[in-house]
Amino acid sequence: MICSIIVRNKGSFRHIAAFGLLILLIANILETYGKDFFHVNTMQLLQFDRFGFLFNSIALGATLIYVLLTGKEIEKSGKYAAEYFTLIFFVLCGIFILSAYDNLLMLFLGIEIMSIPLYILTGSDKRNLKSNEAALKYFLMGAFSTGLMLMGIALMYGGTGTFQLEVQRISVGMYKGVSFLEITGLLFLMVAMAFKVSAAPFHFWTPDVYDGAPAVFTSFMATIVKAAAFVAFIKLCDVRMTATLGAIDWKLLFALIIVFTLLIGNITAVFQQSVKRMLAYSSIAQAGFMLFALFNVNDVAKEGLLLYTAAYSLATIGIFAILVKMKDYTFEGYNGLAKTQPVLAATNTVFLLSLAGIPLTAGFFAKYYMLAAVVKTGSYIWLVVVGVLFAAVSVYYYFRVIQAMYFRNGNAATETITFSFKTGLIILAAIIILIGILPQVLLNWFYF
Amino acid sequence: MHQYLFLIPALPLAGFLLLSLGGRHLSRKIIAWIGVGSVSAAAIFTIILGLQFLQAPPPEGSYTQTLWQWMSTENFSCAINLRVDALSLVFLFIITFVGALIHIYSSAFMRHDRDYARFFASMNLFVCAMLLLVLADNLVLMYLGWEGVGLCSYLLIGFWYETPANCHAANKAFYVTRIGDTAMAIGLFLLFKELGTLNIPEILQQAPQHFTAASPNITLIALLLLAGGMGKSAQLPLQTWLPDAMAGPSPVSALIHAATMVTAGVYLIARMHVVFQLSPVAMDVTAIVGALTLFIAGCSALVQTDIKRILAYSTISQIGYMFLALGVGAWSAAIFHFFTHAFFKALLFLAAGAIIESLHHEHDIFKMGGLRKKMPLVFWTFLAGAAALAALPLISAGFFSKDQILWYAWSAGNGSPMLWFVALAGAFITAFYTTRLMIVVFWGEMKTHIGEYPGRAMTIPLVILAILSVIAGFIEWPHNMVHLTLFSDLVQKVLPATMLQDDLPEEIVFQIIAAATALFGVYTGYVFYQGNKALIEEWKQSSALMQIRNFLFKGWAFDQLYDALFVRPFKFLTRINKSDLFDKLYNGIALVSRRLNQLFSISQNGSLRWYIVGVLIGIIFILTLQLML
Amino acid sequence: MTASEIIFWFLSVLALFSAIMVLISRNPVHSVLWLIVVFFAISGHYILLNAQFLAIVNLIVYAGAIMVLFLFVIMLMNLNTETEPQRNTWLKVIGVISGGLLLTVMVSAARSAGELSNKTALIGAGDIGLIQNLGKVLFNQYVVPFEITSVLFLSAMVGAVVIGKKD
Repeated sequence: MICSIIVRNKGSFRHIAAFGLLILLIANILETYGKDFFHVNTMQLLQFDRFGFLFNSIALGATLIYVLLTGKEIEKSGKYAAEYFTLIFFVLCGIFILSAYDNLLMLFLGIEIMSIPLYILTGSDKRNLKSNEAALKYFLMGAFSTGLMLMGIALMYGGTGTFQLEVQRISVGMYKGVSFLEITGLLFLMVAMAFKVSAAPFHFWTPDVYDGAPAVFTSFMATIVKAAAFVAFIKLCDVRMTATLGAIDWKLLFALIIVFTLLIGNITAVFQQSVKRMLAYSSIAQAGFMLFALFNVNDVAKEGLLLYTAAYSLATIGIFAILVKMKDYTFEGYNGLAKTQPVLAATNTVFLLSLAGIPLTAGFFAKYYMLAAVVKTGSYIWLVVVGVLFAAVSVYYYFRVIQAMYFRNGNAATETITFSFKTGLIILAAIIILIGILPQVLLNWFYF
Repeated sequence: MHQYLFLIPALPLAGFLLLSLGGRHLSRKIIAWIGVGSVSAAAIFTIILGLQFLQAPPPEGSYTQTLWQWMSTENFSCAINLRVDALSLVFLFIITFVGALIHIYSSAFMRHDRDYARFFASMNLFVCAMLLLVLADNLVLMYLGWEGVGLCSYLLIGFWYETPANCHAANKAFYVTRIGDTAMAIGLFLLFKELGTLNIPEILQQAPQHFTAASPNITLIALLLLAGGMGKSAQLPLQTWLPDAMAGPSPVSALIHAATMVTAGVYLIARMHVVFQLSPVAMDVTAIVGALTLFIAGCSALVQTDIKRILAYSTISQIGYMFLALGVGAWSAAIFHFFTHAFFKALLFLAAGAIIESLHHEHDIFKMGGLRKKMPLVFWTFLAGAAALAALPLISAGFFSKDQILWYAWSAGNGSPMLWFVALAGAFITAFYTTRLMIVVFWGEMKTHIGEYPGRAMTIPLVILAILSVIAGFIEWPHNMVHLTLFSDLVQKVLPATMLQDDLPEEIVFQIIAAATALFGVYTGYVFYQGNKALIEEWKQSSALMQIRNFLFKGWAFDQLYDALFVRPFKFLTRINKSDLFDKLYNGIALVSRRLNQLFSISQNGSLRWYIVGVLIGIIFILTLQLML
Repeated sequence: MTASEIIFWFLSVLALFSAIMVLISRNPVHSVLWLIVVFFAISGHYILLNAQFLAIVNLIVYAGAIMVLFLFVIMLMNLNTETEPQRNTWLKVIGVISGGLLLTVMVSAARSAGELSNKTALIGAGDIGLIQNLGKVLFNQYVVPFEITSVLFLSAMVGAVVIGKKD
């Protein structure tokens, strides 16, 4: 049952890493369709369901593309290429736990296994002061949120007497309904998770860390890791928060967080000078959109979240892959890219359009499903309006890049671009457009 | 065979992709092979499919192929389904077959052009979009094709984009058709709101039950759809773009602006015939629009001097006939006229293109002349096309189709003597200007030296089309002459048969009148331009007549009218509104976001202590909110 | 008052007092030393709750290992009152206010919840905290997280090596 915890820490070079990822991906897809390899009794601590498997597939696929596209950059970013790959695999291991946890202990372990290697990866550019600073900040803020999370878990244990995600309400016995301790614990847990997905007002670490970390690792953090945090979050919401709906007005709470996140992410992204920093804020804004799925957990929301993670991860990986190749990370650095590197500019445009949610790209249907999930609740329509408005705002700063690439004169300097890199980008763009034209192809998978 | 239906649009699409992505690296020969080959292969598939369809008609009347589910939400789903029935088969045949001939022609016609690959890529994309339009089994997919052909039309009109006038023409075509397209989109929304589906067979099935006949809703929907058709088919009052659209290369005019795209409106109305039948008002409007258009455009064609503009106005006028036929309920006659018109009008444009190219891109017919001896092949083929356009009795395809329309204009359920009379006047005008065109271009003295003669790749399509222009009419004879009605038998599987009024005069009377009118038109033309040339010169002295002539020359001054009615007031409004309230609003939004941005940027000051404080405040807020509530 | 109650109050006061001292002492070494006292007091609480294992681990890991590490770092960096960076007074005020608010909210919420008022900790009862029972649970029901923790440590070790190695 748990083949997902095979940790291939021997991955010394990117080829081995890519190969390992491929094997994992195949194994995972096979298991989705019910082929078991070996079985471990996890005492109900881990529960592998279709949703988790599908997410694992997406995460693995995205990582595979990520490694294929930017593997060389990973090797270049420091002396210890092998270790970096190992750390990435550790992160993946944490992600698998997060997609399958059924117990708060496992949630904690998963988050930690996922986070600790990231602290290291953030600081991997040791001679760069910014990278070091980012790593330290990330670590301290992360430790703070871990503290909150532990406190939350402890309080919840106090309230319910179990670590299991699903609580037998009858066994609480002594108190009618939901215990006060459980509510407080849940709130703390929620804060910690909001911190991990960089929802406002717990987003402060994000721009600094994403900006400071080497761009290759930012790419990984901003996409796959964030998506995993969301999957963990939605599982938590699905079971625990729905159960406590009577005691806490989650909807109002999430509505406020969503609005605040969208506001901060989008407005701050608008006036950035550096594309990398803009992407950091945009990832906050995108997180605001993904939070829509948590607003009201239903099948549409789950489907939508998977679609969103796929669309968002693919597009962002592509953008970062190009960003890494740029010599100058500011908007000016992109001036005239369409002249010097037409393929890069064209694919980058597709990725940006997808992030902005323009129809015929994957991002459009992703956003559509998110909003549809909220519309289904029947109330909080104003939230949908806010979401659409901010999606419109986001178009502005994504198009700034496109504008720079196509309509500004300049000489965008890039490192040497290999043919295989271009091919990879084109395939990635093709996937995004394919999902955008035929979302059903991917969605037909999603029958839980 | 029908499981390969998808290949018909897929082949041109593949051609488009190949040419647009790799066109720069391919040699001209390969480009031509890809561009021509893909459409020709589609034509062969269509013919095989058509033969199969005719031999063993499918029991449900159509072949359907589901490719995939496009999108699906709670109460709306849209599949990419291809569907061929008799009606779409006719269009399919014309698009692929005539399209293939025109592609062959253009492989030679465009041989000197710099953007050979771009031309064929756009043409292939056009064919693909047009095929989607007629193959679609739901209106959403059809709309995709509809907009696709509009886009390709725009690209190809402005193909020689270095000349500003061409770009202007392309823009104009795009804007004007956009009016119709918007109306059509609104019509589709209404239709969906009423019926909850956009699947064509479902609409046709449900509409009679859902709507009471002549209810305002259905009339509104039908009129909106009609407006869409009018935009695409260049009918009054949206006809102004088509003459300007002649700025594109001649094969483009032949394929898009004569044979296929401009008849999309005819297809749309025929497709949605149930909707139109439910609304007598819409039917009447269609007929009147058709009649007016055919007359007005015909008059304009009388005085044009640019060979392609003559043909353009005549196209508008011929499509007017089709609309008239649709409006009076003569469904199969309209489609039949489309069928023959596609051959002879494509032929005329291609032949005109050959002449223009041989005469160093000379468009003015009064600078041509005497080409009868110099370019005999072009002359004979042009003659065949012109005969069909003028509807010379019995020896041309145009006669059979136009005669049918004239007859039904009076006799069909919705017909009236008035419509018939206008149509007859139109027929006279058509014959007249066709004769004028023939005489001025092919008789008289040579005025321009001939450069390059058209090669075989250009003449073979001309010959094929010329033969078809003569014989295509023979598959459908008037009832009272030979009992052979292959075409209406086929089409009437889909479209309702034409209802006739009671107590009518004998059909033969109408036929004789129509034939006589056409011949009289030819004779008048001969008198004016060959027999008694002095008369024209005399008329030119009269200022009143010259004013009328200029008025007609400008296409009834619609452009000027629209300019005065819409463009200037709009420009005026925009000018006085340059820095308006909305502008201030937007500036205000920008200002607010800038201020907010500054605020948020302060919060992002890089100090960990502040961050933690921020987090703490967030926690306190959340806890207070939840626990105190 | 029973003996255990007296000890409980004593330990609580000690823990709170030393915690405040950690914050307000100017000398970092003193802060660390006060922190050790806090840990001892908390370990005392654990023992009162009959959780010997936890108490011992708390002492060994925190008071023993981590605090020694802290001391080393502080001594190596030669921190003292003079080199202490100038703190932002505003920040201090805001920190106090927000921390105080959090406390107020928590306490008032807990008071209003009511369910806690009739519940006191059972002192000296139960044997869950004994090493024997703990081991059984750890290696039966919670063996998976226990093993997965090793992955966590492994990743932390790899990370430490990457960070610590000289370039």
